[in-house]
Amino acid sequence: MVAYPKFNLAWLPAILVGLGVAIPLFYLAIRALDAEPAQVVALLWRPRNWELLANTLLLAIGVVAVATLIALPLAWLEQRTDLPGRRALTLLGIAPLAIPAYLLAYALLALGGRGGLADLALGLQLPRASGYLGSLWALSLYTFPYLFLNFRAALAGMDPAPEEAARTLGANPVRVWLRVTLPALLPAFLAGALLIYLHVLGDFGVVSLMRYETLSHAIYVQYSSAFDRVYAAWLAFLLLFLAGLALVLEAYLANRWYQAARSRSLRPRALVRLGLWRWPLAFLVALLAIFGLGMPFWVVGYWAGGAWSGVGEALRNSLLAAAPAAALAVVLGLPLAGLAVREKSRLSYFFERMAYLGYAIPPLALALGLVFASLALVPGIYQTLLLLIWAYTSHFLAEGLGPLRSSWLAVPRSLEEASRALGSSAVRTFFRIDLPLLAPGILAGFTVVFLSALKELPLTFILAPFDFPTLATRIFSFSEEGLFAQAAPYALCLLGVGLVLAGFLRLMLERD
Amino acid sequence: MRKILFGAFLALGVALAQDLVIYSGRGEALASPLVEAYQNQSGQKVSVRYGRDAELITALAEEGDRSSADLFWGNSPGALETLRTGGQFRPLPESLFESLAGFYPQDRAWVPLSIRMRVLAYDPTAIEEADLPASVMDLPKHTELKGKVGWTPTYPSFHDFITAMRKLHGEEATREWLLAMQSLEPKGYASNVPLIQGLLAGEISVGLTNHYYIQRFLKSGAEISTHYFTPGDVGNLALVTGAGVLTGAQHPEAAQSFIEFLLSAQAQQFVTGELMEYPVVSGVVQPQSLLPFGELGDRAPELDPSQLNDLEGTLALLRELGIL
Repeated sequence: MVAYPKFNLAWLPAILVGLGVAIPLFYLAIRALDAEPAQVVALLWRPRNWELLANTLLLAIGVVAVATLIALPLAWLEQRTDLPGRRALTLLGIAPLAIPAYLLAYALLALGGRGGLADLALGLQLPRASGYLGSLWALSLYTFPYLFLNFRAALAGMDPAPEEAARTLGANPVRVWLRVTLPALLPAFLAGALLIYLHVLGDFGVVSLMRYETLSHAIYVQYSSAFDRVYAAWLAFLLLFLAGLALVLEAYLANRWYQAARSRSLRPRALVRLGLWRWPLAFLVALLAIFGLGMPFWVVGYWAGGAWSGVGEALRNSLLAAAPAAALAVVLGLPLAGLAVREKSRLSYFFERMAYLGYAIPPLALALGLVFASLALVPGIYQTLLLLIWAYTSHFLAEGLGPLRSSWLAVPRSLEEASRALGSSAVRTFFRIDLPLLAPGILAGFTVVFLSALKELPLTFILAPFDFPTLATRIFSFSEEGLFAQAAPYALCLLGVGLVLAGFLRLMLERD
Repeated sequence: MRKILFGAFLALGVALAQDLVIYSGRGEALASPLVEAYQNQSGQKVSVRYGRDAELITALAEEGDRSSADLFWGNSPGALETLRTGGQFRPLPESLFESLAGFYPQDRAWVPLSIRMRVLAYDPTAIEEADLPASVMDLPKHTELKGKVGWTPTYPSFHDFITAMRKLHGEEATREWLLAMQSLEPKGYASNVPLIQGLLAGEISVGLTNHYYIQRFLKSGAEISTHYFTPGDVGNLALVTGAGVLTGAQHPEAAQSFIEFLLSAQAQQFVTGELMEYPVVSGVVQPQSLLPFGELGDRAPELDPSQLNDLEGTLALLRELGIL
């Protein structure tokens, strides 16, 4: 490993990403400096904030735990067992990415209570989802794919040799799993858990519907009811501090646990025979499918009835904004992840962490920062599609980094060196050797960012050009007024597009 | 080539120089039919940016002189008053206010366009109207409702309601009311639609909300009723939506003509018949389920909208009591 990287073109995207995150941070700092110190102290040091802080952390940690309990067995069933129809599990593990969080929350709310799904179907009035458990439930069902994708890739790429060796030496399967397999999954766990943790910190849509109060609640109130940018900036910094702690912790643990880049093994391994266990396991998987996928569709179908006439325009706008943003995220993220894997240094580490920090900036603060910066630097791009695309890219880039990073780990250096030794240029080597091997990671990264951008709301509201309704904004503006029937066609279209993409991603992963 | 460039320009969504630019805190679902009707009738091209009041006001603050916005169309007196007291509206001609029955600031910086009323929603299968309080100030005395009351502590209309209570009953009485309400263990919803869904699901039996949400759910056959408090009670607070022309407007005449359109019988009819809000001019045919036009003014407490501008004080109180 080189300690001091030499400068090459690959650093340019990394610097761009760093700038993209630094701008809103700079903006927040400017706003924060406008504050009266006494009022800042009063706002930050009130006992209620400790309560909100504790609520936020409890939820974030709980969601990581529950999402792991869903994602790890699912990935194992899909990769390692003979469960009937196990290939379809990939779709189940990806599809929740296509569902907007607030739709999932609405669906869970619609399950209980009088006239709820359980009441209509079974005559059973369950308590309605709410509070900590409701938030935990909704957010875990919604975020577990980030871990699933990582676990799945790690299980697929694992060399069977160490496990076989352990077994030959007499270890029983449980011991092999605990001592060999699980430690090898830790890097995958860390990358996914970090993303989920940051996601939960920033979530407002689900927790507000579930009536659970977190720190993002306080930020929202400050921006929305007080029309205030100054004290909201301080609260945003508090949130970023929580994000920063996790970024440092993850880096520390990853440093201890990451193994050197390894080539993946294509040697087939024997599948675990489930025997009679297959039935209870299949039942659990079916439950997951019902709650994670079936219910949102049921709720939207129940709403149905509105007109389809505006759906085409909204779909076009959604695609126009989300597709270039996802492409740009891959173009910037690929070198960034490459540097982090290949040129391990303080600097590459710094830029990668910056991308994660961008994910943690509250979207409202990010949007206002971009309003501020674009008007000051390049007024021409304000209220154009370009700025919206850039906002999506800098916010969601971190989601694509996981798949991009693991695909870099799968490119053996020796292959590149052989190509160079045979006289190919660096560019030719990249296109002929690296790119085909990176392709699955690129497509996965693209799809994950695309799906997130498709559902995005706060950035879209502030930065979209005039008269630029998207599927997500239409769903929101109808359901906000209680006009659910009118929201339904847009929601169905969004779910449909999302599922097609998730299916596409699944096919790509299968080929991999 | 010029055509292609023009097309690309449009695809990027850039507002053209001659367009009237509206920042609308009113949701797209409610506002766009009116905008379309106006465009068809006047031939004036309109560009709209939709968002919440707060998002648009903070965006206006960031934009400063560079803003292309001509008109702010807001959802709450709080938002309109924030812009008015910040000197961001230009005065409007008296003629716009002739047909109005009040509810506007004395300096005529913005025009009210519809009225929303604070009410108590209740579940008729769980509670009789006769058992509900005559004044919202007595709601906390109904200890049998413990755990069955809903409110929306983060929602702007709720803040306006608390500000009005502070003006009409004083700081101390408001604090006591809030403390007493808290001992009822109210459920705090993010906004009014989830509150009403909670009520329909039996999670709560009564909820403090705005009248039109109940009306819209009634339309779809939901079992839910409206309780009005006695005339003049702060629980019946009337809250206006409205619009003002911004000081930096490049198309003030077009902005004014749009406001005139929103005050026309046609637009007011839409606001009442479709959105179930109260009109600001007389002579509009109202749905049966709403109070008659004159009665609204009698029910609502007498309060100038400019009295509702002390939002900071309200937020500070709610924070102090741990409600926010």
